[in-house]
Amino acid sequence: MTDPQVAILMLGSFIIIIMLGFPIAFTLMAMAVGFGYYAYFDVARQWRIYDRLVAGGEAGQLELWLEYFQGFLNNRIFDLLVNQTYGVMSNDVFTAVPLFLFMGYVVERANIVDRLFQTLQIAARRIPGSMAVAALVTCALFATATGIVGAVVTLMGLLAFPAMLNARYNTSFASGVICAGGTLGILIPPSIMLIVYAATSNVSIVRLYAGALLPGLLLAGLYVVYVVGRAWLQPSVAPKLTDEDVADVSIGRVIFLMITSFVPLAVLIFSVLGAILFGLATPSEAAAVGALGGLTLAVIYRALTWDRLRESVYLTVRTSAMVCWLFVGSWTFASVFSYLGGEHLVSDFVQGLNLTPLMFLIMAQLIIFLLGWPLEWSEIIIIFVPIFLPLLAVFDIDPLFFGILVALNLQTSFLTPPMAMSAYYLKGIAPPQVRLAQIFAGCMPFLAMVFVTMVVLYSFPNIVFWLPEQLYGR
Amino acid sequence: MEFYIRFADKTSAWVGRAFAWCIILMTFGVAYEVVVRYVFRNPTAWAFDISYMMYGSLFMMAGAYTLSRDGHVRADVFYRLWPVRVQAGVELVLYIIFFFPGVLALVFAGWKYAARSIRFQEVSVMSPAGVPIFQFKVIIVAAGVLLVIQGIAQVFRCILALRRGAWPARESDVEELETQLIKDADRSVLAHGSEAVDVVTPKDPPGSGR
Repeated sequence: MTDPQVAILMLGSFIIIIMLGFPIAFTLMAMAVGFGYYAYFDVARQWRIYDRLVAGGEAGQLELWLEYFQGFLNNRIFDLLVNQTYGVMSNDVFTAVPLFLFMGYVVERANIVDRLFQTLQIAARRIPGSMAVAALVTCALFATATGIVGAVVTLMGLLAFPAMLNARYNTSFASGVICAGGTLGILIPPSIMLIVYAATSNVSIVRLYAGALLPGLLLAGLYVVYVVGRAWLQPSVAPKLTDEDVADVSIGRVIFLMITSFVPLAVLIFSVLGAILFGLATPSEAAAVGALGGLTLAVIYRALTWDRLRESVYLTVRTSAMVCWLFVGSWTFASVFSYLGGEHLVSDFVQGLNLTPLMFLIMAQLIIFLLGWPLEWSEIIIIFVPIFLPLLAVFDIDPLFFGILVALNLQTSFLTPPMAMSAYYLKGIAPPQVRLAQIFAGCMPFLAMVFVTMVVLYSFPNIVFWLPEQLYGR
Repeated sequence: MEFYIRFADKTSAWVGRAFAWCIILMTFGVAYEVVVRYVFRNPTAWAFDISYMMYGSLFMMAGAYTLSRDGHVRADVFYRLWPVRVQAGVELVLYIIFFFPGVLALVFAGWKYAARSIRFQEVSVMSPAGVPIFQFKVIIVAAGVLLVIQGIAQVFRCILALRRGAWPARESDVEELETQLIKDADRSVLAHGSEAVDVVTPKDPPGSGR
């Protein structure tokens, strides 16, 4: 077998093995070590000292045996593994990951979401499907601030979902709103997924954030349009609220509610995002300040307890460990894969297909979409997206643009069965009569909105490029 | 066997949580740097090194903790449809083939790497303060050793499950309130996802605890 064929074998067997359900990070590491041992196997180098001892003829039998065994461990894959591990440990982009997670978990615990939802619900009460609109906007804002999908979906599922069901909203419709709204957090900056993509693709994280802002808002806007439109055309899914459901309050009261709930969160988001976009702080610095801001909010809302702080800290460390260990495995795996020439083989193969850039883009996005059914964003971005990245130059596609499309596309990975974290979170806390099938059905129209947004972005790429170019030039 | 599982879970959790508090140090360290840079125009020479060291240590040392809570991402589409004995059998084999080689390689190669660094008393080249980093490289070995300890516990779990036909109960962070709201079956699916499972009740009155 030639080396590139071994590389393909490596990738193929990897895909089969992860489907058995073993933790992916360790599978990657072990396969990288195994195949790497083969790839870097070098008799002359590994047994150099042994050969020298034999040639010298003075070493004792024991010494010779020891050196002979040492030879097996002299393979360069071990150095590669440690160097890549250390590379992940000392990477300055990744330092933002635990900080943003911590900020998210703290904000989540700041008792802010129920106020926000009540306020928006009152503010939106004249619009068709007002409660769904309020839920969606709350989700979008809260998701932007926390970036943690589970947090948004469970909190809103406990809060807005029962309220919508009580107001006789259609179950599917209501669950779609919560799931799709909660998932926005991984797209609208500051989001962890974009940090991870930046680290994989070497696109500047700041440009990515600037580029993702408008598409994220566009998608959120389309969601709102869909919700209002559906409620207007088909009032049975979202009946008009009676006075019992929402109390009528004065304008002054609404403004007061806005100032105590909406404004602090918005200020937090805009200061973190603004500091990053205007180059005042690196993403890690902004995240650290954001986390302090979150702690302050929690103190102000009298929600900061020792228990909650401890929970946030532990959850942060577990999610960081999960994402970053995946990187430890995948960096080593990717080095071995490309050393064996797998990258070239894939690239030659794809070029041999004679695709146009558009066909390539559609194919890549389709593959990512399909991978999103059984897998999730972390595995897809860390393991599978790097396979496409070297091809972007061939087809003259900007990695920034590709990244935004991937980020949009991965919204669907939370909503498509069988692995749909949003749907499962909602199912986990929803009343028992809500079936998983209803939730998935509710998500489908939102999937369509994601595709519409992707088509719009392809037709008008300036939606992505305008803001980064305004801020940083070309 | 059960004693060992409990011991490993406790050790991993204790170390992982101890290092988890690095996030607080990191938050304050980085925020301090921002303040002194903008307010006092006097940036520190050490904050950058401290931030990546905190980050590196916290995630490396929490690897075993996350493993003990079954929190690493897995594509469990098929896995969760199988009976317990099949799950345990497959997992047992996979642990032996796909866990220990990688992790042991990390321990031994990490040891060589760290030992060299200790010999030189290596300091960081990223900043003029000359922050020592050899202790940071020892983290690789420590994290690897913890993973080996926890990995053996996972193997024991598989063996127990094979014998009994049911997974031994997993130690869970009771204080993290996972169990109360999400049913067990749903939780195991969520545990393998891209985030630590997390449920907060929205209207917890402040200070009431649970």
